[in-house]
Amino acid sequence: MRPDDLAIDNCLKCSLCNTVCPVLAADPRYPGPKRLGPELERLRREGISTDTEWVEYCLGCHRCDLSCPNQVNVSEMIARAKATHRKPLIRGLRDWWFARPGLLGKLTTILPALSNFALAMKSARYLMSKIMQITPQRTFPKYTRPDLRSPAMTGKARQRVVFFPGCFIRYNRPELGRVVIDLLERNGFSVEVASSECCGVPASANGDAAVARSLARANVRAMAAQVDSGLRIVTACSSCGHMLKTAFGGILDGDKKFAGAAREIASSTFDLAELLMAQADAGELNTNFQPADLRLAYHAPCHQKSQGIGRPWYHLLRMIPGVTVEDMDAGCCGMSGTYGFKQEKYAVSMEIGEQLFASIRAAQPQMVATECATCQMQIEHGTDFKAIHPAEILLHAYDRQSDAE
Amino acid sequence: MESDRCDVVVVGEGIAGFTAAAAAAHRKMKVALVATGPGSIVNGPGWLKAQDILHASSAPELSEAIAFFCEMARRAGCPFAGDVSTAKYLPSLLGDFERVALAPLLLWNAEPRDGVATVIIGVQGLSSFDENFMAERLNEQSRSMNSNGTYAGRQISFARDMGTPVTPLRIAQLFDRDADFRKELICALRAVASGFQRIFVPGILGVDSSAEQIAEFSHEVGCPVCEIPTLPPSISGLRVFHRMESYLRNIGVELFRGFPVEKVELHDGVCTGVRVAAPGHAMNLRGQCVVLATGRHSASLLGGAYAVLDQEMRPLDSTGAVMARNLFIAGSLPHSTSNNGDAMRILAGYRAGNLAASTGGNHAA
Repeated sequence: MRPDDLAIDNCLKCSLCNTVCPVLAADPRYPGPKRLGPELERLRREGISTDTEWVEYCLGCHRCDLSCPNQVNVSEMIARAKATHRKPLIRGLRDWWFARPGLLGKLTTILPALSNFALAMKSARYLMSKIMQITPQRTFPKYTRPDLRSPAMTGKARQRVVFFPGCFIRYNRPELGRVVIDLLERNGFSVEVASSECCGVPASANGDAAVARSLARANVRAMAAQVDSGLRIVTACSSCGHMLKTAFGGILDGDKKFAGAAREIASSTFDLAELLMAQADAGELNTNFQPADLRLAYHAPCHQKSQGIGRPWYHLLRMIPGVTVEDMDAGCCGMSGTYGFKQEKYAVSMEIGEQLFASIRAAQPQMVATECATCQMQIEHGTDFKAIHPAEILLHAYDRQSDAE
Repeated sequence: MESDRCDVVVVGEGIAGFTAAAAAAHRKMKVALVATGPGSIVNGPGWLKAQDILHASSAPELSEAIAFFCEMARRAGCPFAGDVSTAKYLPSLLGDFERVALAPLLLWNAEPRDGVATVIIGVQGLSSFDENFMAERLNEQSRSMNSNGTYAGRQISFARDMGTPVTPLRIAQLFDRDADFRKELICALRAVASGFQRIFVPGILGVDSSAEQIAEFSHEVGCPVCEIPTLPPSISGLRVFHRMESYLRNIGVELFRGFPVEKVELHDGVCTGVRVAAPGHAMNLRGQCVVLATGRHSASLLGGAYAVLDQEMRPLDSTGAVMARNLFIAGSLPHSTSNNGDAMRILAGYRAGNLAASTGGNHAA
């Protein structure tokens, strides 16, 4: 992708972006990335009003960007149009919350038991669907006390890294954060947990550019010193990784104070599997895996693909003796974070996922491995299969060893 | 941060890149295929023009390369028909007849036929394809070729919302996804096919569909079905691309899609790999050898430094020295003014893939 304004002139209207758009394939009324991106962008730049509700239906999966032979940043143009689109009041209120999972996490985890009880109540979900237009079909992830802390320094660690947990790990699954830390420590890293905020993907996805920008600034402030001292940042959520690696989607580009540091963060950020794969390539991966009799289906999240790092989890999981992994390669799951929770988008979200669901049903795995939390939710919602983060499978393979070293 | 996990790095997902990757993979190499986006095959019918083949027919190994390509296509579920010595006239998207030597099977039987009545199918609301225009053009063209075959246009429609406008892509995706839609289409075709011996449809029979699926469909319709190419993205070209890409993935080729190669690493006459401009930090793909199948982009990747290739398809610098002993170029030459054509792309890809494979590799599965 060319992250500049001239990219629009690279659009030759070949429509390849349309061939890979999950929304267009699921809903014939959707104008598609070519129309909503470069075509309308030309008019928008001339000040001609082209506001359409359809921009809200872009998943932000970046598949259009990746398919473009001329590197046009199609989805970025749609995201900008989304940020200026005016929503009806109720949806605007709902999306205000959806843009702020960090704030939501902080509030719900004051009394997590009460929040979980309330969110699971049939009547509450009915009310949320009526008042907030949040689909009653889905269940919210459970919230838990945010107790992920930096572990004590271990003596034999060779390199120190910063772990960026993201909202889901921080407020919903801190134990997954501990799995990540454990995996890193077993591979010679010592870990400190970043005192970061939400990465800002939900804010961008919900058209809240101001929040995305302020979160990006807060995250730069939180991690600039660590990155400056040469530490690498590790993410285990593909959307957080995508956001950090694209220098917060370029939203700080013109920002004198923060742009440089944002780019530093981008170049220092590694997906957990990317880092472990680099260890493997250097012959330094701890490969004391106990054999496991496990048949897995792997789904690569869109924001993993958009990082351009190949398929590191697919290869790592296959290193465990006895584990077979089938890459579903069946497109987007349709969830896209908060998108699938929106009442008006629930049907299209499920229709998009149907390709993946069908592939999983055909593969009949023992479980599905995918590193994105909302992909997991969607897979478990659309099929009868359990979906977990591949880090848990990898750690489990270590765990069974008669604790080595 | 990927690395030495491959023997051969192929850059470019056009016909040359696919053929090179397949040739190397067939020789048990671990292959990585890197591309910013699909090659130009997705914009056209996916066929090989006769002029390319005849122009190149004196090239050594051409038949072998074409045979290899056809075998790859057959295994990929998008078989080609034709060969290097014969040519047929097939309808183009403008309603002309083009001389074609090799084409996807679904396009191959659309040549003018004496005494055959062909129905050309339009779809209500379909943009960029007019069945009556096509019929008129083909009638005129076939008359001028002294064929007495006839063409007539018929329109079909569907009860469901097909979008506005209806695109060949939309219909092809429904064809792939929805068994009910396929049934609906079969019924609609049957209803207009009586009295005709052949059905021509625009490129709508699936983006991912295999030859077996299409054969089964055609059987259900009860009348031979051929496709006519449509505007880009041309479904018939796109289908070849999709099938070949999945085939390569299935035989173990690792695909890196979406980001450009920003540098070819050359050190002391050896190419150590390529640097891919992924977000944040570049990804270094290292390989025992590298095949650049990026057409004219190859020159800029090498700093515009090469003008010619040696016998083994390696670029030479301005002094005539080999730039890297393990770097091969497949595709158009930078300073050539003619379009080298698909036949040469296949040949160059085949040769480069084989040369790369014989240069070694130690990561084979």
